[in-house]
Amino acid sequence: MKAFFTLVFILLSSTTFASEQAEEIFAQLTPSLYQIKLIDKASGEKSSIGSGFQISNDGIIATNYHVISSYARHPEKYRIEYLDHQGKMAEVELVSVDVINDLALVKRQVEGEMPYFQLSDQKPSKGEKLFALGNPHDLGMIVVPGTYNGLKKESFNERIHFTGSINSGMSGGPVVNKSEKVVGINVATSGNQIGFLVPHDKLVKLFNNYNKQAPTDIKQQMAEQLLANQNKLMKALLNNTWQSKELAGKAMIPIIEVPFIRCWGDSNADKTDALILAAIANCSLDENTYLSSHFFTGSVEIEFRYMQAKNLSDNKFYHLYQQQIARAGAGNRAGKNDVSEYQCHHDLVAPSSTANTGKAINNKSVFCTRAYKDFSGLFDVLYLGASVDKNQQALVSHFTIAGVSQENAMAFTSKFMEAVSWK
Amino acid sequence: MEVTQCTEDYTTEIELTKQIKNDDLSLEQGEIIIEEISRNHKLIHRHKLSRNKVSIGRNYQNDIILTDPHICPEHLSLKYSQGIWYLNDNNSVNGTLLENKQDKRQDAHQQVINDGDVIILGKSQLRVLFSDHQVSETIALSPFESLIDLIRHPIAVFISLALFMLIAGNISYLNQQVETNISQLFVSAFSMSLLFSLWPAGVALVSHLTKNEPRILAQFGISFVFFILMWFSDLLEEIVAFNSASNSALGLLTALLPILLAFSLFWLNSYIGFHMSAKRRAIVAISITALLFGGTYLLQYSKKREFNPHPNYNATIMAPVFLIAPSNSVDDFVKQSNDLFEQASKAALEED
Repeated sequence: MKAFFTLVFILLSSTTFASEQAEEIFAQLTPSLYQIKLIDKASGEKSSIGSGFQISNDGIIATNYHVISSYARHPEKYRIEYLDHQGKMAEVELVSVDVINDLALVKRQVEGEMPYFQLSDQKPSKGEKLFALGNPHDLGMIVVPGTYNGLKKESFNERIHFTGSINSGMSGGPVVNKSEKVVGINVATSGNQIGFLVPHDKLVKLFNNYNKQAPTDIKQQMAEQLLANQNKLMKALLNNTWQSKELAGKAMIPIIEVPFIRCWGDSNADKTDALILAAIANCSLDENTYLSSHFFTGSVEIEFRYMQAKNLSDNKFYHLYQQQIARAGAGNRAGKNDVSEYQCHHDLVAPSSTANTGKAINNKSVFCTRAYKDFSGLFDVLYLGASVDKNQQALVSHFTIAGVSQENAMAFTSKFMEAVSWK
Repeated sequence: MEVTQCTEDYTTEIELTKQIKNDDLSLEQGEIIIEEISRNHKLIHRHKLSRNKVSIGRNYQNDIILTDPHICPEHLSLKYSQGIWYLNDNNSVNGTLLENKQDKRQDAHQQVINDGDVIILGKSQLRVLFSDHQVSETIALSPFESLIDLIRHPIAVFISLALFMLIAGNISYLNQQVETNISQLFVSAFSMSLLFSLWPAGVALVSHLTKNEPRILAQFGISFVFFILMWFSDLLEEIVAFNSASNSALGLLTALLPILLAFSLFWLNSYIGFHMSAKRRAIVAISITALLFGGTYLLQYSKKREFNPHPNYNATIMAPVFLIAPSNSVDDFVKQSNDLFEQASKAALEED
């Protein structure tokens, strides 16, 4: 009985301790917390909201890029305003962005000394208690306690896995440790207490670069970041091992052995009335880069589809097969103001790597590309290869890459085409 | 108000003198051909008369009896004298007009009639010709005639219909996503051929309505032969698209084939169904072809979205039996695809 009491007491005391700590943190940090609002100039109303926090004495406020993305893309249409804990509002200026890590720095006017957030100089340890701050759904500033669970597995651009409720509107808010130092920035959630944060070192780097030399043109800065990121990604894809793997025991397909490309499989083996047996392997990069609400980039999708006719004439099999490949679409969302229309080329292609062997394949190959309007030198590409050399079997190899340079796209295409064959 | 009556007393002094003159030279006898024609100058009836006086009217005593109620019982008479025919209107209610080759209409009273003149009386028209009238040159039988004779044979029509249904059935078989049975295919092939029958039936109906010979079997035969040819041209187009790269000129050539076939079909339809000059027939065929293809193009153009976020590529694939072209290497494909980047960049700048 005594032991039970002790247990309850310990539990009770630890929760009260946590809530006291949260209160304390909140009270101390509130003056440096802001709601960031994007105001549509024509209507005078807010078009999006997020959170932000001051990280320097001279009024630099950190937030997410996606909070102010509309302004970054169309500065003539919007203005950015902050709302502080006392209800004061004023316009701020966008000074730097990191579009890959979804960070942005805005600057407010300051008169005299101001409190600001300290950025941590070390990573948190797994299981450490953290506090996320922000203004969810415009309901007012709140503090959410949660746990640090290391970096998200299999991510190309690092994200912290935070167990705690991150809600929309909290985007751009800071996550601090017990000593009130910023260790991450709220960025995304996948529901049920799973939140994602941008690690603080990305912010440190952005802030240091800004202090060294402020960018003159935000669009130019974004273009450079996108170009550098696709170089890093494509280098990783091209230089890692491409494991040759069987598909349905009939075809050989490449699986790129990098942790951030994840594969899934499916088949219709259970559907006895299907005219064509199909087995699909699907690999993709789980993350993409947000440029605006209708424009995403940085995605990679690879798909292989093996098909076998069941009691069909060759002509009918190929007729149905053609319907399967007639509607390949872009892997990313982009609109009229973001990209050109696709330009396509098609031909019959036999890869030389397997020519004159039993594995030889003959494909109808289609390659399409569209150019980015604001970021010249970047393209979305799409490839589709459809085997045309077997009467009753077919192999479709397909990929899309968004936001890639011509050189990288063609190097990938060439390697990919040579890597697909029959078994 | 005085109501004009169709007078029966039509002899006048001048006429009498002529009559006398005529009697003096009674050895010579006039020969005249009178054609009853419709308003659009189509021949209804032809009379050839060898006499010096021809009376025309509604009365049964006339040489040429017309039923038009706007014509008087003894409307007019034609008289021959000294190698010249004269027209005399007998004070008819609605009068008589004479239209000569220069298209000049004039009131006809004591008028000289020339070869080819048209007499307009009431709502009827008569064309007057003399036996020395120059006829147009003989048109040689077109080689199409023998072809049409072959195609309009009931057995040939049956074969082309059967072939059409076979192709229609095959197409619906290819398009079915699930397993099908013969009766389903037959129904869709039958309804397809019924739908396509509307065209030759319509053409035959129009030619019947315009007082031409309908020649329904010939229309059916020729139309279905061309529908089959058009399907073959589709197949050819598909084979070319499958075997060639996107920058091939052969693709354009095969795109012209269906236009040519459609033109030929419309030309033959009008050749079979309507009498018209070669120039007019060509114009009609070109207009219908232009209407068909231009209309289709306009329809597609109007449906085209301002911006297409999806790639628009030709992914025609066919069973390996149709594969005749050699394949390219990956390097060449990549090299050719490289040009697309420049095109896309240019498009991105243009659309800005």
